[in-house]
Amino acid sequence: MSATAAIPAGESPTRRAIKRFLRHRLAVFGLIIVVLFVAVALLAPLIAPYDPLQTSWSRIRKPPSWDHWMGTDENGRDVLSRVIWGARASLMAGVISVLGALLLGVPLGLLAGLAGGWTDAIISRVADAMLSVPFLILAIALAAFLGPALENAMLAIAITASPVFVRLSRGMALDAKSTDWIEAARALGNPPWRIAFVHVLPNIIPPLLVQASLAIAEAIIAEAALSFLGLGMQPPNPSWGSMLNSSQRFLTQAPWLSIFPGLTIMIVVLAFNLMGDGLRDALDPRAERR
Amino acid sequence: MTALLELDGLVKRFPVRDALGRRAGAVHAVDGVSLSVAEGEVLAIVGESGCGKSTLGRLMLNLITPDAGSVRFAGEDLTRLSAAALRARRRDMQLIFQDPFASLDPRMTVEQAIAEPLRLHRIVPRDQERARVADLLARVGLRPELARRWPHEFSGGQRQRIAIARALASRPRLIVGDEPVSALDVSVQAQVINLLSDLIREFRLTFVLISHDLGVVRHVADRVAVMYLGRIVEEGPAEQVLTAPLHPYTRALLAAVPGHGAKAPPIEGDVPSPIAPPPGCRFHTRCPFAEDRCRVTVPELSAGPHRVACHLTGRLPPAPPRPERAAGGERLRRLQSFFRAPGPQPGAQP
Repeated sequence: MSATAAIPAGESPTRRAIKRFLRHRLAVFGLIIVVLFVAVALLAPLIAPYDPLQTSWSRIRKPPSWDHWMGTDENGRDVLSRVIWGARASLMAGVISVLGALLLGVPLGLLAGLAGGWTDAIISRVADAMLSVPFLILAIALAAFLGPALENAMLAIAITASPVFVRLSRGMALDAKSTDWIEAARALGNPPWRIAFVHVLPNIIPPLLVQASLAIAEAIIAEAALSFLGLGMQPPNPSWGSMLNSSQRFLTQAPWLSIFPGLTIMIVVLAFNLMGDGLRDALDPRAERR
Repeated sequence: MTALLELDGLVKRFPVRDALGRRAGAVHAVDGVSLSVAEGEVLAIVGESGCGKSTLGRLMLNLITPDAGSVRFAGEDLTRLSAAALRARRRDMQLIFQDPFASLDPRMTVEQAIAEPLRLHRIVPRDQERARVADLLARVGLRPELARRWPHEFSGGQRQRIAIARALASRPRLIVGDEPVSALDVSVQAQVINLLSDLIREFRLTFVLISHDLGVVRHVADRVAVMYLGRIVEEGPAEQVLTAPLHPYTRALLAAVPGHGAKAPPIEGDVPSPIAPPPGCRFHTRCPFAEDRCRVTVPELSAGPHRVACHLTGRLPPAPPRPERAAGGERLRRLQSFFRAPGPQPGAQP
């Protein structure tokens, strides 16, 4: 070993995780599909062949053709264009509502885990109560209470999804609290908020990330379900769920109306799940040790 | 010499709950400990595992609050300080942990970890932080270029050096070392003990060394306190306690050092449960000299520089002759002579 050899800055835990993730083929495949759909959603005005709201009496419920790859709907609108624009509503609903759930759930979970006592008991019991109601039922009830609109649907999904994050971050915070490095942080004179956000939070991000990517898939389904029930995106604006809603009457005469939005939901949800699985493997704390 | 740290009647019990969450008793981890540590002194606390050494160390820094008693640091009762005032006081007292693989935040670089106390207590301006960290790394025998690395890239001994640098960063007056070398390889132990004793001298630190390794204790301690089941049974100047022990338990501990020539009556059985400590002298269940009185009355610590809590003081058969230097200490010294010479430490092994 030559003493003058330059010492590189060292490899951070994050970089090691990225390396492991990239070795996971299915996960990378999922990531590519997710990125593709995000691009489609962002570039919708450029790549959609038709105006998604343009109706036409001469092209009602036409099967897929070269002009309309996914056919046309009951008002003569191009299904492909509507699926492309619908990606906006669905991905936004997925990502924003999960972000909301994180923002709501993680601080509460950290507080419960680190403070303990009564604070913990109250927060945990409320989270448990919410978790005891099936996800969709709670989301539907909340969305119905808030009124039919995409924003309200996202808010409802965010609130419904947050208890999972409360529980997860509380458990991880409890775990961290008993470690030497958290006691060391206290011994150094860190105030409680710094322990929570500077020491505990960065260390619990891996499981949160995994849970979030799986929750996005769930939120997309929830948004579709709410829109299907008329509680999400309002007509005539397209979202995959509302497209399924209006296509159910033509399931036998015009199956392409439901097949394409349904298939798209399936592919996106699958992609998020694959990505989440890959993240879990890459961020496995047991693999973190040398 | 004035006392920097004064413990008075410290008690700490941890409640034990049964399967239904009801209180089913308590672990008497620390039970009435009074002790004082003079400025600049190295006090060793020895005893078997489970005797409350680590709990006592945490109590000294008020990392856990005592159920009774007081902890006076530089004349100030830590147990009465507000949370914010106590945090500010932490600048002057630091802790070194046993397991260097657990005591460093895995998501902080060496530089971030060592700079943290500097920032928390605003010790140096931000632009001098990096230089200060490099200086501290050099003090503990690590190359300053390693500052941007992550804990997982270091060996146990190197991590412990990082932890020591972090403990030194705020220039504390008191450092408590909780078994600081017992998780390390023997060869590395010697290096780290050498480093610690150098730093203690250089920074004129007051140091409380919690250890079960009498070889290590003999090498650095000025005074020794022997703990058994949450109580101090003997306390005094290191060479007196280690060469002319007064308490049967201390004698047995010394006799248990491997390679030790002298034969003292071995202690039999295990440490009794700290949930229901025996009445009277807590050692009577294992003491070869125990009398009726020992089973009933709790012996108090005697007064003077060499204190002992035993009813039989002065009536014990003389301690078996011991060689002036025990083999354990000799081995450590030999090891140390190997590691003193080569000067600066090699960097991180790939």
